[in-house]
Amino acid sequence: MNLSLVLIATITVLGLAGIGIYTLLITRNLIKVVVALQILVKGVMLALIAAGVNSGNLSLGQTLALSVIVADTIVAVIALALAVQVRRHFGSQDIKNLTTLRR
Amino acid sequence: MAKLLILLSIGLPWLGAVLVWLVGDQRSRLQHFLAVAFSLSAGVTSLLLLGYASASPAWNSPFSSSTISTAFGNLTFIPDGLGVFLAVIATVIGSLAVIFSIDYMRGEKQLGRYYAFVLFFIGAMVGLVLTGSLMLMFVFWEITALCSYALISFYNDDPKAVAGGIKALIMTQIGGIGLLFGAILCYTQLGTFEISALLNHFHEIPGNLLALLAFGFLIAAASKSAQFPFQTWLPDAMEAPTPISALIHAATMVNAGVYLLARFYPAFEHVPGWRTAVVIVGVLSALLAAVMAMVATDLKRVLAYSTVSQLGYMVYAIGAGGFYASQYHLLSHAVFKALLFLSAGAVIHSVGTRDMRRMGGLGKSMPFTRVVFITGAFALAGIPIFNGFWSKEMVLEAGLQGGPFWAYLVMLFSACLTAFYTIRCVSMVFYGQPESQHHIHDAGTAMKAALAPLAAATLVTWLLAGSLATLFSSTLPNHEIHIESTWMVIEEVALAPATWIALLVITAGILAWFGRKLLTRFANTLKGIAWAAASSFGFEAVNRSIVQTTLSAAEKLRSSQTGLLSHNILGILSGLLFILIILLFAGA
Repeated sequence: MNLSLVLIATITVLGLAGIGIYTLLITRNLIKVVVALQILVKGVMLALIAAGVNSGNLSLGQTLALSVIVADTIVAVIALALAVQVRRHFGSQDIKNLTTLRR
Repeated sequence: MAKLLILLSIGLPWLGAVLVWLVGDQRSRLQHFLAVAFSLSAGVTSLLLLGYASASPAWNSPFSSSTISTAFGNLTFIPDGLGVFLAVIATVIGSLAVIFSIDYMRGEKQLGRYYAFVLFFIGAMVGLVLTGSLMLMFVFWEITALCSYALISFYNDDPKAVAGGIKALIMTQIGGIGLLFGAILCYTQLGTFEISALLNHFHEIPGNLLALLAFGFLIAAASKSAQFPFQTWLPDAMEAPTPISALIHAATMVNAGVYLLARFYPAFEHVPGWRTAVVIVGVLSALLAAVMAMVATDLKRVLAYSTVSQLGYMVYAIGAGGFYASQYHLLSHAVFKALLFLSAGAVIHSVGTRDMRRMGGLGKSMPFTRVVFITGAFALAGIPIFNGFWSKEMVLEAGLQGGPFWAYLVMLFSACLTAFYTIRCVSMVFYGQPESQHHIHDAGTAMKAALAPLAAATLVTWLLAGSLATLFSSTLPNHEIHIESTWMVIEEVALAPATWIALLVITAGILAWFGRKLLTRFANTLKGIAWAAASSFGFEAVNRSIVQTTLSAAEKLRSSQTGLLSHNILGILSGLLFILIILLFAGA
């Protein structure tokens, strides 16, 4: 693997993760939270593949990425289902509604 | 063959647990039958395993090719003398407790939950003593703690039972952490979790780390065996159904701590201060619990205190270098204490209370229970020819030879107190004026079927001294056993002057109960001690203050939980940043 490809992968990973974390920090819309989480996880997956290629152990990276896909899909599905419930219950998508879980 | 028998001894109770639960509470007769069948067959397989006892692993790494093995080392099972001996106690007394439960638990709701946890416990206990891997031992250790918690809180609509269960769980967890800490320390030093590696290569571990390991295991043992300063959980565990108290809190699980100390004694005996610490833990437990038993009025609590006290004797024996004496006493204690608890269960089942002040004069209406209870009580008091006499004398003998003299004197005094509270208990329950208006009936058929073998065993298990010694010396290469035959034990006990002194002391304890009217003058001066004993020497107050501190700290920390996602993300990010900075500086 030549150097420029490593550089491209690193920049993409940092970009995706940066966008995801930034959105998670500022947004209050539940749907946007799910979207941000997806972007962040895609960055992580890319990082796993890149690390696998870089260390010459691609199959390990691929295995881990596949596991992340499975877990990530479940997280997304359940989060969206919860978002629908929050919307029905409170009439908005604002995550501030969820602080009522504190007594 | 040994591999199959080990698999069956652990697997049969676990299979039974699943089946009993699947059958459902509507078919209670089938549940009783299944529980008895599976526990009895586990008892038979572990008895057969006695014939295959050896020091080499019977089942090396069932997962050798998988990643589990690379992560946790070889998960071996070794059927050596010590392990098989304790597995037999767990399964045989386990099946007797299950038989007893047929009468005791008749008509209870949720029998499935009860039997499932009992059988799950029996299997885990067998695994705990037979495994050759510290990691696996930790797993089984925690399973037994969970079963104990679930069964103490079996009557989960009773707040006292729930509180007792949680208390037992938390206090035994402290021990679990000690064991896990020791296991990980062993792995970092020797690169393996194998017990045999620790026993054979302990001198490769630096002295200070070995000391940490030894004291970590001592904490684990003390909390599991309800020894000083963790003794308070066992009396509160008496909210469990009585067969559970007999099985888990007298005959098996509480022995796990003694087992741990006995197992690793060869590795730790040269750690400076360790043996003295073990002796002190044993002596304090034996003395304090015996004093508390003298003032308790709850029949099961008296027995619980006496369990703590007798376990103290075993721990003391190990500290004094008497490995064999401690295991011999463990055998006697498991038998006579299971007998005492189960016959106390028959009494409680009949009278409907645990308060001894409301019993009295039960001997006439419960003749069978009286005979078996007194058999157990005599063994507990250390009266000759009952099994408790021989093993207690062996413990005192070992203590005199290998331990400090003051400790021997305290243990002798505890033996006197033991005789006193045992006779007090018997006379309050079975003699004197009848107090109860309840309709009294003697033990049922299933109860008798469980009590009779235990009573017989209380009379004869001391004859197994020679076979026990042969079993140990042929399969435990790291332990020193100087006993060769039963005759040698008889000779050693009968000829030692220590025995006669101990007998005098025990007689003094018994006479003190009958002459208690003459002693009232002393009794007034001892009121302070009695009051301190009734309030458990302040240990309950310490426990309460720990709980209060934890709760108030948690309440203060609540304000840090805003429940806002952005705040949590910020927390995660700053944590990550913190770690990165540390790594940066550590790397440079």
